[in-house]
Amino acid sequence: MIEVWYGVVTFMMLTYVVLDGRNFGAGMLHFFVARTPEERRQVVAAIGPFWVWHEVWIVGFGGTLFVAFPKLLAASFSGYYLALFLVLWCFAFRGGALEAGGHIPDKMWRQFWDVVFTVSNYLLAILFGAALGNLSRGVPVEDTGMFSMAFFTNFSPFGNPPGHVGLLDWYTVSMGLVVLIVLGAHGASYLAMRTVGPVHDRCVRCRRALWTATPAAVVVIAIETWIVRPALLGAFFAQPLALLFALVVMAGAAMIFTGVRAGNDRRCFLGSGAVVIGMLAAGAAAIYPVILFSTINPNNSLTAQNTAASLHSLQLAALWWPVAGVLAFGYLWYIGRYFSGKVDVERSTAGPY
Amino acid sequence: MSDPAFWHRMQFAFTITYHYLFPQLTMGLAWFLVYWKWQALRTGDEKFNQAVRFWARIFGLNFAVGVITGIPMEFQFGTNWAGFSRYAGGVIGQTLSMEGMFAFFLESAFIGALIFGEKRLSPRVHFLAACGVALGSWASGYFIITTNAFMQHPVGYEIVGTGKDQMLGLASVSDFLLNPWAWIEFAHNQFAALVTGSFAITALGAFYTLRNQYREQASLYLRSGTMAGLFATWLVALPTGDSQAKMVAWHQPVTLAAMEAHFVGGDMAGIAVIGQPNVARQRLDNAIELPGALSFLANGTFQSYVHGLDEYDKDRWPDNIELLYYAFHLMVTLGSIFILLMFLANVQRFRGKLETSTWLLWPLLLAFPFPYIANTLGWMTAELGRQPWLIYNIFRTEQGYSEVVSNGDVIFTLIGFCGLYLAIGVIFLFMVAREITHGPVPEEAHTNLEGRHD
Repeated sequence: MIEVWYGVVTFMMLTYVVLDGRNFGAGMLHFFVARTPEERRQVVAAIGPFWVWHEVWIVGFGGTLFVAFPKLLAASFSGYYLALFLVLWCFAFRGGALEAGGHIPDKMWRQFWDVVFTVSNYLLAILFGAALGNLSRGVPVEDTGMFSMAFFTNFSPFGNPPGHVGLLDWYTVSMGLVVLIVLGAHGASYLAMRTVGPVHDRCVRCRRALWTATPAAVVVIAIETWIVRPALLGAFFAQPLALLFALVVMAGAAMIFTGVRAGNDRRCFLGSGAVVIGMLAAGAAAIYPVILFSTINPNNSLTAQNTAASLHSLQLAALWWPVAGVLAFGYLWYIGRYFSGKVDVERSTAGPY
Repeated sequence: MSDPAFWHRMQFAFTITYHYLFPQLTMGLAWFLVYWKWQALRTGDEKFNQAVRFWARIFGLNFAVGVITGIPMEFQFGTNWAGFSRYAGGVIGQTLSMEGMFAFFLESAFIGALIFGEKRLSPRVHFLAACGVALGSWASGYFIITTNAFMQHPVGYEIVGTGKDQMLGLASVSDFLLNPWAWIEFAHNQFAALVTGSFAITALGAFYTLRNQYREQASLYLRSGTMAGLFATWLVALPTGDSQAKMVAWHQPVTLAAMEAHFVGGDMAGIAVIGQPNVARQRLDNAIELPGALSFLANGTFQSYVHGLDEYDKDRWPDNIELLYYAFHLMVTLGSIFILLMFLANVQRFRGKLETSTWLLWPLLLAFPFPYIANTLGWMTAELGRQPWLIYNIFRTEQGYSEVVSNGDVIFTLIGFCGLYLAIGVIFLFMVAREITHGPVPEEAHTNLEGRHD
């Protein structure tokens, strides 16, 4: 039962990252791929109608985490206190930028919100990346099952005092940068699929550059991970599911490669989704059953088993969750089908968003 | 301030109070949109579609701010109330998760179709989109209220584990979801949201009528708003508010005594019309009371006995009796004024004189902030009255906050929220004012104003 819920929670997280990751990416590339105010509207229109719809998946993910692993939610949310509030505020700025920016066709108004939009997306991507880094490195979980940590710590890769790590150190920041590159590439793949004209051409160039940089970044972060938590790489190769998801990453990479060659934007974007899903899923499979590794004492680590809700609660939740899941993915499929197609400069300003 | 959970409570209270200003209007407006959309389908009259288009934009702005301010609410269960989440997550996580999965997804999936889809969807499907949004917003309300009802009156749970690993698990989904407290609280709360919606629509109708603008639309708003308002203001008091009070009297007698600053138990207990609770002296100063009214409210007869605070240990008393007393009394006073105002408005409407009754249109216009205040006061009554418990009689508030988070962290984020929400509020008001100034003009004129067809 616990394994199933671990899978469901991971699945919700993957869905959220794939859906909202494109918005992070598009937001980061906003000023690179769009040079004029009209072109920037085009980028926003390509993601605009969806932002609420994509952001709700983090609520779905949070809710699922709460129902299945309440103690994990309690420990991690209170432990990441300041970082999480920064995330929440960035969400507010990003939503405000999308909602307010488009309503008034005034040059200064739009300039202001375009900058807010871009900055908040950079911060969100880095913060989520750092959170991922904390997950793979581990945090100082105490024997109470809770932890608190400094916001900034050691930025030197050597002479690392073991145990009391902080939220941002050399490792988690480099994970943030890797996430920046991957989500940027994902966003570029999405925008290339959804736009035409000069914006499309610039997206194609960004897409190629960022996807080319990705393998190098992944190798670097794998080596860094081997330095901070050597056992994780061993666990990765011992876990068949993780290797299976690594194959998904390979397949996605192949789709991107051939998609770029053939100029097939759709195939590229699907490949990009597969790469993102595969990497995260492989990571989730490799760390199981430990979710939050304790850097102080491995025995304090928070595992799926010691943070799960009671078995009866999980069983009862398993009765209604599938219904909700089918409905949610039904809406996702319907909306995705409905709002497909290209956004060009003319339609973007006329278009509803 | 000696309360270790003080700043956690302040932050949650501030963010939830601010957040709930927005969903209460969307829940109140949603069925108006459905009604007008249905009328448009039935009669083919364009004015109904025009009304939906206009109010859907107001709805959209409220929904967006509701989402932006709502996501922090879910997060704060973990960030600020880790003790509570660890202990009760197996139960309250269920409804909070259902809210996201069943209701929020439904609402956010259809809101885009409602606001932007009119040209691309058939009228029938567009009507269904309005229904989807309304259902989603009310279902959302139900799951949140069920969570709150569990905290007020826990049912359907079991205690598992021992010592510091002790926690609550769900024993019965149906007992938990069909908590009798939840039904009454939900009905009371939803009619209160409808009061907010009715007053907002009536106020805009009054505004345009007084300015002699958009008279056809203004007339529709006045008619729909006062008609719904007549029923909603009444139903929020009777039977739902009354049942809620009886429920409190039955399950939380100490809370009822505190709501009324009823320090000494007795027969023929009164309700104070005026009076200031003096907790140190344990009496109500300068009291003017309606004799027997509290006995009637609590038990249905004027003579019956009502428990006083003196019958309970002080560590079971709500910790802010004064604020609780004023919140409850001001809510009841405002509710009574709403009934009177909507009654007068309907009398004038049936006489065909509402649109020319300037003396009444002004109060109807100026009344629109007060349902927000009354809703807030109602929630203050519920939540202050629940103290000192997080889960009534099971889990105390001071056990529930995040011990690893220092006061310095919480004050920092609270200041951040104050600044952020001030900015959001200013931008929101600016954009709503802009929509109101543009007015419910026909589709083509509006898109030209917006410059969307450049």
